[in-house]
Amino acid sequence: MADTRTFTLEIITPERQFYIGPAEALVIPAVDGEMGIYADHEPAVTAIEPGELRYKVDGKWEPAAVGSGFAEVKPDYVILLVGFAEHPEEIDRKRAEAARQRAEERLRQKESIQEYYHSKAALARAMARLKTRR
Amino acid sequence: MASIKEIRTHIKSVEQTLKITNAMYLISSSNLRKARRQLNEVEPYFKKIEATISDILHHSPEIQHRFFDKRPDIRPEDRRMGFLVITGDKGLAGAYNHNILKLAEERMARYPNTSLFVVGQVGRSYFTERGIPIDGEFLYTAQDPTVPRARDMSETMIQLYLEGDLDEIYVIFTNMVSSFKLEPTVHKLLPLDPDEFPVYERDRDCYHRDVVYIPSTEAVMDRLVPGYLKGLLFSAMVESYCSEQNARMTAMKSSTDNARAMLQELDLSYDRARQSAITQEITEVVGGAQAAQ
Repeated sequence: MADTRTFTLEIITPERQFYIGPAEALVIPAVDGEMGIYADHEPAVTAIEPGELRYKVDGKWEPAAVGSGFAEVKPDYVILLVGFAEHPEEIDRKRAEAARQRAEERLRQKESIQEYYHSKAALARAMARLKTRR
Repeated sequence: MASIKEIRTHIKSVEQTLKITNAMYLISSSNLRKARRQLNEVEPYFKKIEATISDILHHSPEIQHRFFDKRPDIRPEDRRMGFLVITGDKGLAGAYNHNILKLAEERMARYPNTSLFVVGQVGRSYFTERGIPIDGEFLYTAQDPTVPRARDMSETMIQLYLEGDLDEIYVIFTNMVSSFKLEPTVHKLLPLDPDEFPVYERDRDCYHRDVVYIPSTEAVMDRLVPGYLKGLLFSAMVESYCSEQNARMTAMKSSTDNARAMLQELDLSYDRARQSAITQEITEVVGGAQAAQ
């Protein structure tokens, strides 16, 4: 690839600073589908859904599972503030699978709207982990 | 001078208290270490989220959104204010609980219509005792703050605000500036006010263009604001918990020191009393022997 311009990428969660460093490209799960970002992107703000994220460092794509949050994009700088972020090897497949089943089980029960949203969010988080882990 | 027996009872009771305060000191110092670690992890997230939101707001044209609605048509005397007060679950933490409760009362006295939400057992019993009504459904503990608890709390607050039950919501918590300076703080939760966010001067921030919202301002703000409030409440809880442990540690340390000093003095007077009792006995024996001769 000819274009190897980089921007500063920060992925930050309440528990830790997941990644701070240069990146060549970034693909995030936005509200209306995946969104790709290169350096010199126009300034933008977008919301992030739980899902799989990829960022390219030194020509290599690094996947990660992320929770909901938002991103601020500037030409030379992108910051992601998300509920959680995990490397694929950190994800416990069995735990995520169990969480998915629990959430699905709960969704079948009659719940209040609030509980319904919680279950749906839990399901989305589990799916994001499973998708990244594969 | 007190009798030997009295002094011995006094020594024993001081020793018992010393054991308790020393144990509490050790427990709170280990809790503090844990809380400190959590605080160190959450602080960058919170700083970033605040800086980012402020940056976004300062790069946006006027935002029309329900989270920014100040409801100016409601008269000051009709405005319903919500206060979320974070206290400790236990006492014996020096002035920690007292300071935060004093600030809460002082704030609430300014407005006619207030609702109170209390985190922590001490605050709950304090307000109940004074007959100040608190929200009974809002039951959260101050110990070991977690993200899900912060999420539940922020959801409750957002719902109350959006349904019009509250017009303004503040959180009152203790900010740990340093281990010697614990500062009770009031922070506005809702509605969001762009003017209240300080303008962050940053070198890289040289784009005087408005940002675009993808897909729309509405959709982004709907996700961004709850996330921000969750982060804010979580860090307020972590700060408070850390402050509480710190205050308790300091209080227990000074009472342990006091108990030690007291014991030393008591030991001295005990020795003195014993000495004088022995001397007296000897005098009596000698006196008796002389009389018998």
